Amino acid sequence: MVSYRSKENIQRIILYVVIGAIGFAFVFPFFWMIISSLKLNKDVLSLPIRFFPPKWNWRSYRNVFFEFPDFDFPRYIFNSFIVAVFAVLLCLFFSATSGYGFAKYKFKGNNLLFTIVLSTIMISFEAIVVPLFILVRRMGMQNSYLGLIIPESLTAFGVFMMRQFFYAVPNDFIEAARIDGANEYAIFVRIGIPMAKTALLALVIFHAQWVWNLLLWPLILISTPEMRTLPQGIALFKGGYNTPYPEQLAVSVIACIPILILYIFLSKYFVQGITMSGLKG
Amino acid sequence: MAGDVRFIKGELMRKVSYSVTRLQRHGYVFILPTLIFFSVFLIYPMISAFRLSFCEWNLLSPKVFVGLKNIKTMLHDTRVINSFWRTIHFSGISVAAINLLAFAFAIMFSSRLIRWKNFLQSMIFLPVILSIVAVGVVWEYMYQTTGLITIIFRRLFGVTIPWLVNTRVTPYAMIIIYVWKAVGYYMVIYIAGLLDIPDSLYEAARIDGAGFWGQLLYITIPSLRNTITLAVVSCVIFSFGQFTIQYVITKGGPSRSTEILALLIFRQAFEFSRFGYSAVISVLFFLSLLIFSLIQLRLFKSGAIQG
Repeated sequence: MVSYRSKENIQRIILYVVIGAIGFAFVFPFFWMIISSLKLNKDVLSLPIRFFPPKWNWRSYRNVFFEFPDFDFPRYIFNSFIVAVFAVLLCLFFSATSGYGFAKYKFKGNNLLFTIVLSTIMISFEAIVVPLFILVRRMGMQNSYLGLIIPESLTAFGVFMMRQFFYAVPNDFIEAARIDGANEYAIFVRIGIPMAKTALLALVIFHAQWVWNLLLWPLILISTPEMRTLPQGIALFKGGYNTPYPEQLAVSVIACIPILILYIFLSKYFVQGITMSGLKG
Repeated sequence: MAGDVRFIKGELMRKVSYSVTRLQRHGYVFILPTLIFFSVFLIYPMISAFRLSFCEWNLLSPKVFVGLKNIKTMLHDTRVINSFWRTIHFSGISVAAINLLAFAFAIMFSSRLIRWKNFLQSMIFLPVILSIVAVGVVWEYMYQTTGLITIIFRRLFGVTIPWLVNTRVTPYAMIIIYVWKAVGYYMVIYIAGLLDIPDSLYEAARIDGAGFWGQLLYITIPSLRNTITLAVVSCVIFSFGQFTIQYVITKGGPSRSTEILALLIFRQAFEFSRFGYSAVISVLFFLSLLIFSLIQLRLFKSGAIQG
C-alpha cells in the first residue's frame, strides 16, 4: 500500500513538472511581450539577454499614442470595437434564430438546408475574398463599417453550435407555452434565448476573438487611414515606419487586453459551450 | 364535469393537430435571415469565383472572357505550384502537431492525480485568445539573431538557427507559431470529448487487465472517433487559410518559402490587380480543401452531426 502511494506521488510530481513546464512555455511569449515592451530600445536585442529590463521604460506606452502622427492608435481601437460589437451581435442573431429554427421545427427541406448552411464551413474566407470584395464594392460598402461587419458576422460554425444546443434541449417548456397560447416568436424570445444563455455567451467569446483578430478583410476593404482596424494598424506600424521594438510590443500588449478581459469573465462559458453544444462530436 | 374535461381535451387536440404542419412552417421564418445572408455573402461569392476564373480583369477596364487561359497559365506557373505545396506542407505538419499535442495534453489533464486543472489549462489556452498580429510581432522579435529563441537554441544546442532568413527553416518557424497559437483550442475540444466517455468502460478494461496504453488504444481513441474527425477536419480548414502570421512576419519570404496560397491570392488581386487569375487560384484552393475534407469525412464515416 505504501509503495503504491509513493508510486502515485512520483507520477503526480512528474505530471506537475511536465504540465507546469508546458504551461510556462505557452504563457512565456506573452510575458516576454510585456517585459520587452518595458525595455529601452537599446536593450531589447542587446546581449547578454536579461530577463528584467536594466532600466524600466514606460515611455513606449505613451509614445504609441502621441509620437507617431501617421499611427492613429485610439481611432483604430475605436474602429475595432465598433466592428467587433456589431459583428458579434449580428452573429448571435443569425446563429440563434436559425439554430432554433433548424432544431425545433420539422419543415420540409430542413435537413437539406441545414446541410447547405453547414457545408459553407468549407468555404474558407480566403477562397472567396476576391469576389466578396467585388460584391461589397458594388454594393457601395467599400471602406465602411457595414462592409466590415456583415461578412465578418457570418459563421456556419455558430449556426451549427446553436442548432446542436437547441436540439439537445427538451421541448417541454415550448409545448407548455404553446398550449398557453403564446406565439412562436414570443416563445423563442422568452424561453429559447434564456435557455441558450451559456451557448450564446460561448459564442460571444468565440466570435469576438475571431473578429478582433481579423486582418485580411480589413486589409482589402479599407482604403483610408481613419477606417483602419487595430490588426491592420499594427501590421502597418510594424512594417511601415521602422518602428522600435518597445513601441511595437506596447501596441501588441494593448491589442490583446480587451479579449483577455472578456475571456476572464466568460472562460467558464467557453468550455461549457463546447461541452454542451456537442461541438466535440 | 367529466364531459367538460373531455371537451377541453378534444378542443386542445384539435387545435394542436390542426396547427402541426402550419406550426412547423414558422421554422422558415427563423432560418430565412441566415439563408439570405449566407447566400449573398458566402455562396454567391463562391460561385462568382468560378465565373471570374474564366476572365481577365483589373477592376478598372471591362472584364474580358478568356476561357481556360487562366487555368492553363496556373498549371505551369511555378509560383502557384510552389505556393500550393507550401500550403500543404504548412497545413499537414501543423495539423498533425496540433492534434497530437492537444490530444496528449487532454490525456494528461484527465489524470485524477493533478489539481488546479482550470488554471493550468488556461495557461495553454492563453495564446488562442491573443491577437494574432500581436503574436506575430513578439515571435518575430524572438526569432531575431539576438532574439530570445535564437539565443536559447545557441545555448542549449550550440547552433545558431537562422529562423527568418533561411528557406528551409522559416516555414517551420511559421508552423511553430501556429501550433503554439492553436493547440489550446483543440485541447479544450478533446477534454470535452474525454469527459463524455463513461468511467465504466475504463473500469471494465482495468478488470480485464488493460494498462494505460491498452486503455488508450481500445477505449479512449475509439470512443473519441467523432471528436477526432471534427477536430482534424476543422483544423485542416483553418490552417489551410492561414494568412496573418506569414503576412505580418515574412511577407512570403525568404524566396517565397512561406508564400502560402492565401497570401498569393491576396497578392495577385490586390498587388498585381489580376483579379481573374487570383480567382482561379481561389478555386484551386477551395477545390483542394473540399476534396480533402470529403475524403477525410468518408474515411472516418462519422455520425459527427446528431439528429
